[in-house]
Amino acid sequence: MEVSSLPLSPSQRGKLIAAGYTTLSSLSSVSAPDLARDLNISEHEAIEILKVSSQSSKKIDGCHAIVTGAQTAWDMLYEEEFMTRITTSCADLDNILGGGISCKEVTEIGGVPGIGKTQLGIQLAVNVQIPIDYGGLGGKAVYIDTEGSFMVERVFQVAEACIEDMPYNYPQKDFQARKNKMQPENFLANIFYFRVCSYTEQIALINYLDKFVAENKDVKSVIVDSVTFHFRQDFDDLALRTRLLSGIALKLMKLAKKFSLAVVLLNQVTTKFNEGSYQLTLALGDSWSHACTNRIILYWNGNERYAYIDKSPSLQSASAAYSVTGKGIRDAASHCKRVRIM
Amino acid sequence: MKPENPLHLTTQKCTTGCPILDRFLAGGIPCNSITELVAESGCGKTQLCLQLVLSAQLPISQGGLAASSLYFYSEFPFPFRRLQQLSSSFSSSHPDLFSTHDPCDHIFVRGLQSADELLGLLDRIDTFLTNPPSRLPVKLIVIDSVAALFRSEFENTPGDLKRRSSLFFGIAGKLKLRAKRFGLAIVITNQVVDLIGSDTANGVRVGNLSCLYSSGRRVCSALGLSWANCINSRLFLSRVDEIAGKETAVKDDEGGNSVLVCTRRRMHVVFAPHLPESSCEFVIVREGVFGLDER
Repeated sequence: MEVSSLPLSPSQRGKLIAAGYTTLSSLSSVSAPDLARDLNISEHEAIEILKVSSQSSKKIDGCHAIVTGAQTAWDMLYEEEFMTRITTSCADLDNILGGGISCKEVTEIGGVPGIGKTQLGIQLAVNVQIPIDYGGLGGKAVYIDTEGSFMVERVFQVAEACIEDMPYNYPQKDFQARKNKMQPENFLANIFYFRVCSYTEQIALINYLDKFVAENKDVKSVIVDSVTFHFRQDFDDLALRTRLLSGIALKLMKLAKKFSLAVVLLNQVTTKFNEGSYQLTLALGDSWSHACTNRIILYWNGNERYAYIDKSPSLQSASAAYSVTGKGIRDAASHCKRVRIM
Repeated sequence: MKPENPLHLTTQKCTTGCPILDRFLAGGIPCNSITELVAESGCGKTQLCLQLVLSAQLPISQGGLAASSLYFYSEFPFPFRRLQQLSSSFSSSHPDLFSTHDPCDHIFVRGLQSADELLGLLDRIDTFLTNPPSRLPVKLIVIDSVAALFRSEFENTPGDLKRRSSLFFGIAGKLKLRAKRFGLAIVITNQVVDLIGSDTANGVRVGNLSCLYSSGRRVCSALGLSWANCINSRLFLSRVDEIAGKETAVKDDEGGNSVLVCTRRRMHVVFAPHLPESSCEFVIVREGVFGLDER
């Protein structure tokens, strides 16, 4: 690496090159007093130059670029192989999602009222707690409820069914012994529930999450049900709304990366007037649609519920049937494979 | 900001006053949540609401909230006589509780003319909720009906529709805030509109039932999709007029057929976070609304 690419002032660079120090390696063995004498500068300045050069060479040794935090695509690919996912408890849905809702990413899930958004949110808050031996993450969940649809009795049912189904999915001999430790009560206690009653509270909470998750390292999923509700009230200034929302999205994306946790945002649908007809679309507008990494739309197809991957950088557009049962989210009732790649 | 432990959260429920309906609703109408009753007129929305404001006064051991209630009505006039009738049969069936006072003492009634009036009232309601003019705290708010507030005032233009939906979210947000703060159960009634044309023409299916039928007509609930986003649970009441049987058909004097018609009513869960898709038959009698055991 050349001295000319070091982050130094032009005059310092000029002096270095004039004195024959053209490469970083030539600076690695020189001492500060020698350098000061050679360049005719103060010793303090020479120390600074050596500091800069050693920092730069360290980065090269570590195979990293100049900008801190950057990664090569190869590293990212390697990391992605170890990316953990939270199962949805529906095999077809997991299939099109490549194994489930991915950690480190923000996933938005939207659909009409009654399609099962909250049910899916509750299911994910429970499933993130499946122990690692059983193919889960053994984590905890943060559930941010803006609508008041989080019903404890329902979470209890889902947790109970989840524990019941665990030995079928991962048969192990000592399940009975472990089952005593796994109680629906523990599953409930591992969900940090926040009820949010205004959009200011919502923003404050999302700002606070960074600190909260740092203190509670086990948190592996953050579910916001729904991100929309408070942002559809009294917002005359839509530009402000867009700014606030993109701020939230950025913070959550950072959070997902930093703590490698899954962020799931539930969204409502609205009708959009387009070319003379009304169409269904997720709420919060066009600029919001850029905010999330993945976007899943839930919809009715006849009497079956379907999920459709609307946006994803790594997954194909596909749809899969699922159903909402007493146990929670499960395979579609018909049990035949219906995965359709579009 | 402290997270709540779901283990310590319990959803209190307000009994409907009928064990069968309570079982169907997993205990009754949940607190901290908005429950909507949708039906065409004459299905029993108001009947059920009147029954709820009475049963809310029952002690918690009997499934009630031990609370008084606030009743907003926008469909005039308020059915005072029916309330009186229900109240007297209610107090005679619970003589130990209502020996000294009338159940109507714990029901506060207020008429509403417009949506803006409701929004304004909700801002001023906090002092009323913290210092209720009765011995019992207020734990139940009924709005009968929300559709009447919105159906006359707004045009079908994009501007009006936008104003309307922001009012929906404003009202729902204020209601939910108070529901959480005071542990209120909120019941809102809504009307239906006829659904004309095929599925694809309307496109939006809300809830578990592929279509709602009442009196042989295909209907869907009024106020559209954005209102549906504002509520937590939606219950649909339907009625079907059935001819009781061929034997009962008699020719009247003018030669026309006059038949005995009996009305069968059902309550359906359209969507609710805690209830599966199901339905339950019920009847309305002099003493109130009661579910029919179908097993």
